[in-house]
Amino acid sequence: MAWRLRPEDVTALARGCALLGSGGGGTTTMLELMLAGDGSGPRPLADVDELDPATPCFGAAFVGSTILLGERLPPLEPFGHLVAAAERWLGTRIPAVCSIEGGGLNSLAPFLFSGERTIVDADCTGRAVPELDQMSLFVDRVPGLVFACDSGAGGVALVETDRAVDAERIVRSAIIQAGGTGAAVLAGFTVGDLREHAIPGHQRRALELGRAFLAARFAPPAELAARLGARLLTEGRIDRVSPHRADPHVQSVEIAGPGGAVDRVVTRSESLAVLSDGELLASAPAIVVVLDAASREILQVTDLGPGRRVVVLSLPAPDWWLARPERLRRVLPSTYGLAELDAA
Amino acid sequence: MSARLSLAGLRAHPENGGLRRIAGPEDAEWDAVAVETAEADLPALLDGGLAVLLDAAPETPWQQDAMLRRIRERGFRGVAMPGAGAFDPGAQRLAERLGICLLDVQRPIVLAQACWMLVQAQDALTLSHVRKVARSFEYPARDLSDLLRQVSANLGHPLALVDGTEVLHSSGGVLDPALHAAIDFRPWVDLARAGDAAAASVRVDSPSRPGLRLVVFGTGLSESQLAALSVAAEIAMPAVAARILIDEVAEVNDVSASSALLRDFVDARGLADDDIERRMGERGWRTAGHHLGFRMVGRGRLDPLPLLRAVRAALGGIAAEAHVTTAGRGLSGWLAFSEAPDPVTVERLARGLRSLHREVGRSFAIATGVGSLQRGSAGLAVTLDEAADAARIAASRSATGWFVRVDSLGLEQLLLAWTGNDTFVPAAASLLAPLQGASGDLLRTLSVYLDQESSLVATAAALNLHRNTVAVRIRRVQELLGVDLTDPETRLAVHLACRAVLAPAAGDGPARREHGILGA
Repeated sequence: MAWRLRPEDVTALARGCALLGSGGGGTTTMLELMLAGDGSGPRPLADVDELDPATPCFGAAFVGSTILLGERLPPLEPFGHLVAAAERWLGTRIPAVCSIEGGGLNSLAPFLFSGERTIVDADCTGRAVPELDQMSLFVDRVPGLVFACDSGAGGVALVETDRAVDAERIVRSAIIQAGGTGAAVLAGFTVGDLREHAIPGHQRRALELGRAFLAARFAPPAELAARLGARLLTEGRIDRVSPHRADPHVQSVEIAGPGGAVDRVVTRSESLAVLSDGELLASAPAIVVVLDAASREILQVTDLGPGRRVVVLSLPAPDWWLARPERLRRVLPSTYGLAELDAA
Repeated sequence: MSARLSLAGLRAHPENGGLRRIAGPEDAEWDAVAVETAEADLPALLDGGLAVLLDAAPETPWQQDAMLRRIRERGFRGVAMPGAGAFDPGAQRLAERLGICLLDVQRPIVLAQACWMLVQAQDALTLSHVRKVARSFEYPARDLSDLLRQVSANLGHPLALVDGTEVLHSSGGVLDPALHAAIDFRPWVDLARAGDAAAASVRVDSPSRPGLRLVVFGTGLSESQLAALSVAAEIAMPAVAARILIDEVAEVNDVSASSALLRDFVDARGLADDDIERRMGERGWRTAGHHLGFRMVGRGRLDPLPLLRAVRAALGGIAAEAHVTTAGRGLSGWLAFSEAPDPVTVERLARGLRSLHREVGRSFAIATGVGSLQRGSAGLAVTLDEAADAARIAASRSATGWFVRVDSLGLEQLLLAWTGNDTFVPAAASLLAPLQGASGDLLRTLSVYLDQESSLVATAAALNLHRNTVAVRIRRVQELLGVDLTDPETRLAVHLACRAVLAPAAGDGPARREHGILGA
């Protein structure tokens, strides 16, 4: 059932995407501004089932450091030349676009093509993930995928490979060459592939989540959790943030929880797990949301510092990841070398 | 029921593998111990026990949290493992919260062994103590305190040798006075406690020093540890008793050798003698530099050896290099200086010797003489001589507290000391006897005349007489005595005789006699 994203819903959608970012994926502010400034009215979205399964489709995302992206503003049409390169390579126009990272700012990227391409309500992760080879199409080994990305100074790099890790490494290198952040386009699949190998209806879910959040934003934490369909895990003051010796990207955020409980949020690019007194409460692929207790701002992992009072919630994991063990293996905390955090 | 194993007991055990409390209760006690490689292998316990793990602590804070939680769920109240010291502060907070005593141990196997001995194998604990004591005897000890040090170091517990009132020697720690007071001196073996501290003691059977006990002590010791240590004390005791005897024999030998050496030196009157010089050098007795001699003699029967012990102990209070040994019925000694001390220092040291005399005088009936400051080898002989003379005078001087110091003005007293002896006084009396019967105060006139360097005028002035009267009297004296006073030898003899005969009886001297003597 096709629907339209009204301009006044952009904020709610953005909050929903931020919640699904699990503390990662970058702040949505930049994309919200770009969408607000393009002057277009309601943006139509098509459901996967409404389109011809053979319709070629592509996904667009920013890759690299989200902090750098805030400092170095992207051009107004960051993806145009990449889509052109993919179309040249594939030899056909690609009429449909979807999101390939369902949490954080990239979840809003397809709307930049509104009026120009058909926006498909589907996503390749359903949450924020740190690596390109965690896109559902790669996880399910869909053949013929092509990645095009910035390589700096207006250059384009294009990778066609069936080995997902190569795409991740080569695109990552190119983005580093491009200055640490840049745009990327994933193509070589069809709308039909999205039915089985992606998460249809993601944007609608994000919008509903965002609306619920905005409605109950300042409600007591337990009520807010209930309205979001989330679990309230803990609330308290951040005592300490200690980096993991083996991997400095991994941090343990220690929270003095209710009744003096020793609560922890383990973070990497995203918040990956929550423990209370040594008991695992939630872990990836479940989505961990850390809110500022007072402002109810949805916090990125980089915002978690000692002294801040926070509320920690968890949203259920997208079903797609739980459906098959080989999918789950690609998103558990152990994927990143973190022991004893996978939910049993 | 008291728990069989406590943190305090493990800490008191010398071989606990480098145990360190990181978090959790300070007064932790456990009824059982489980030793496993990894936490996953631990059994479930009903009561609170201690888990000793050989594997290193997990690295990440959340793994540490989770491990503490699982250990608590299995019923344990304590866990010791390598690397626990690096536990995240949050995990340490969780240990406190769960009531788990978190311990860091460098060598978990050693800790496991200690736990086994303390909980299950009292005999093994005792035997290990006995072995350690025996190992202490392998190397010859220099003296008693060295022996105690070796036993204490091997045993890993502090030791003390005590009597009813004081600690004679201690090694490895200080015996708490309250614990000392708690020791019962009657039984052969005694186990005493005072607060956290505990002591196992055994009577020392020493013929020369009755009433001693050898004490092994420490804090947090359990009953079984204390019992094992009492056996160690019993094993060590005969060696200690023997050592006390050996030290006494060695001391007597050493004192008699040093005493003989000092006698040889004084007999040689400070003249260069290579052999004496060498022997003195071996004892660290320097003859170069400046010396202040002193001598202590008994006013009655006295064993010089205990006196020497007391003086040696008390000499520590005097800020100078001091040597002392027995000589005859007393002690001779001196303070040595490489640079000439200023008069203020000499006075201070003399006062120090005086208070030493008073202090030692409380236990011994002694008289003390102090010589004057002298230089070099010959000077040492002189000051020792002076001190001996002064001590001789002091022995008859209760008025000065049996203490006399000779300084440069005290020669007169020396003269008296020399001329006041039994052979000289009768000789002097018979020499001057002709003057006693004669009219006029001839003896007194003669004495003053000799004092005034044979000047008639000065003598007349001193005696308030006319000079002709004096001249007549002197002529009569020469006639009566039949001597020629212009001869220096004769003058000296007559002068000394006058002093000896005119001297008042010892002990009731008038103020003049105090001249030059620093009296009480």
